[in-house]
Amino acid sequence: MPDNVCDEKVFSTIYNDYSKDLHDYLYYKYGDQFDPNDKVQEAFIKLWDKCKDVTFKKAKGFLFMVAKNMMLNEIKHRKIVLKHQKIKPKDYTNENPEFLLEKEQFLEKYQRALTKLSEEQRSVFLLNKVEGKKHQEIADMLGITKKVVEYRIYTAFSIIKSEIKEFK
Amino acid sequence: MDQEQLEKKWLAGELSNEDKKEFKKLDDYNLNLEILESAKYFKASHFSSVKSYDHLKANLKEKSTPVRKLQSFKILYRIAALFVLGMTTYFFLFYNNLTTVKTLASQKTSFELPDASSVMLNASSTAEFNKKKWSEKREVILDGEAFFKVAKGAKFDVKTNDGIVSVLGTQFNVKNRDNYFEVKCFEGIVSVNSNDKSHRLTQGNTYRIINNVVVVDTTVKNQPEWLDNLSNFKSVPLYEVIAEFERQYNVVITVQNVDENRLFTGGFVHNNLEQALASITVPFNMTYKKVNSNKITIYKIE
Repeated sequence: MPDNVCDEKVFSTIYNDYSKDLHDYLYYKYGDQFDPNDKVQEAFIKLWDKCKDVTFKKAKGFLFMVAKNMMLNEIKHRKIVLKHQKIKPKDYTNENPEFLLEKEQFLEKYQRALTKLSEEQRSVFLLNKVEGKKHQEIADMLGITKKVVEYRIYTAFSIIKSEIKEFK
Repeated sequence: MDQEQLEKKWLAGELSNEDKKEFKKLDDYNLNLEILESAKYFKASHFSSVKSYDHLKANLKEKSTPVRKLQSFKILYRIAALFVLGMTTYFFLFYNNLTTVKTLASQKTSFELPDASSVMLNASSTAEFNKKKWSEKREVILDGEAFFKVAKGAKFDVKTNDGIVSVLGTQFNVKNRDNYFEVKCFEGIVSVNSNDKSHRLTQGNTYRIINNVVVVDTTVKNQPEWLDNLSNFKSVPLYEVIAEFERQYNVVITVQNVDENRLFTGGFVHNNLEQALASITVPFNMTYKKVNSNKITIYKIE
C-alpha cells in the first residue's frame, strides 16, 4: 500500500474510484446550482497539492471533507431543489396520458418532499436508493457509523412519505 | 411487528420471508414501493456528471509537479549515506583484520603468514587468517587444499569444515574438498581433530577421511606432489580424481557409463592436458573426447 498518493498512477486510480461518488454526494446534498463538478475538480487539485501528507487510505476521507467545506463556504443554508427527469411516454407500454399526468404530479410532490429533508438525510437516502451504495460504503464515505446511515435513510423515507400523503 | 419496524427492515433489505408477507399487507405497501421506485427520477447523472480524469490532469499539469521528485532523491541520498557509513564502520572494525587468499581453478599461489610460516595454496582454494590477532592465535581457516610450512612457536591451527589440524612446528598438507578430508604430515607431529576424534600423525603419515571412512596411510615424499605440478592418488574414488582434475585444468568433465566409485591409484600432471587425460582414462580402459575448449567427456571403450 503506497504511503502517499503522489504517484500519478495511484492518484488516477483514486480519481476513477471516488470522483463519481463524491460528485453524486455533493449533488444530492447541495443540488446543482453550485456546480458539484467544479468542487470535485478543486478537491482533487487540493489532494494533489497535499499528496505527500495524505496516505492512500485517508485520501477518500480527505476528499469528502475538503469538498464539503468548499461547498459550505459558498452556500449558507439554502433550500435545495433537485430536478426530476421528465417522464417520456414509453412507446411499448400502454401508459395513458392520465397515468403520466398522475406520475408527473407525484414527482412534483416528491421534489417538494426532498427539499424538506436535511442535507444529511437527502444525500444518504439518495446515495443508497438511487446509486445503490451499501450502508457501509456510505458510512465510510462520510465518516459516520452504519447505524447513523440506517437512521437517516429511515427518517428521510418517512418524511417523504408523510409529505406525499399530505398533498394527496 | 409494527409498521415502523417493518419499514426499517425493508429499507435495510433485511426482511425475512415471513416479514415480507406481513409487509405486503401494509396499507402503504404500494406507496412505499412507489417512493423508492421514483427516487431514480432524481438520479444525479441525469443532470450532472463528473468529468474524466484527463480533464483534471490538464489542470494538474499547470499546478507544478517537478518539485516533488526531489523528495525521493533526498531519501535516496540518506540511504546512500547510511550505507557508506555502515560499510566504512564494518571495514574498520572487522574486515580489515581478516586476510583472504583465494585461488581459482588451474591457479596456484603461495603466501607468508605474519610469523614467516609459509602456505602454498592449490587450485580452487581459499585461506583466511587474522593479521592483527596472529600473535595471540595462530589460526588459518581453509577451504580447499594447502601445504603448510609452520615456523616453530605456539600452537598453530588449520580449521576446515571437516576437522581441525593442530601443530607446533612442522610441514604438512591439508586437503579439504566435498566429502574428502586428508592430512599429510611431512615433518614433525600433527594432531588431527575430526568428528570428536583426535589422531596424532608423525612424519610420513597420511590421514584421510572419504565419505566418513578413515584411512591411515604412509607417504615417502618430503613435500606434496602438487607443488611439482603433479597430483597423486592412492586408492581414491575416481570421482574425487576427476574433481581434482577439473580444479587443476579448469574444465568440466562428464562421465558416461563408468562407475565413478572405483578406486584409482596413480597420478596426473598439471601442465599437459592430453597426457593427464590419458593417465586417468587408460588404466580404466576408458577414452575421452573434447566437446569444446573446456568440456570433456570420458567414456568406456566398447
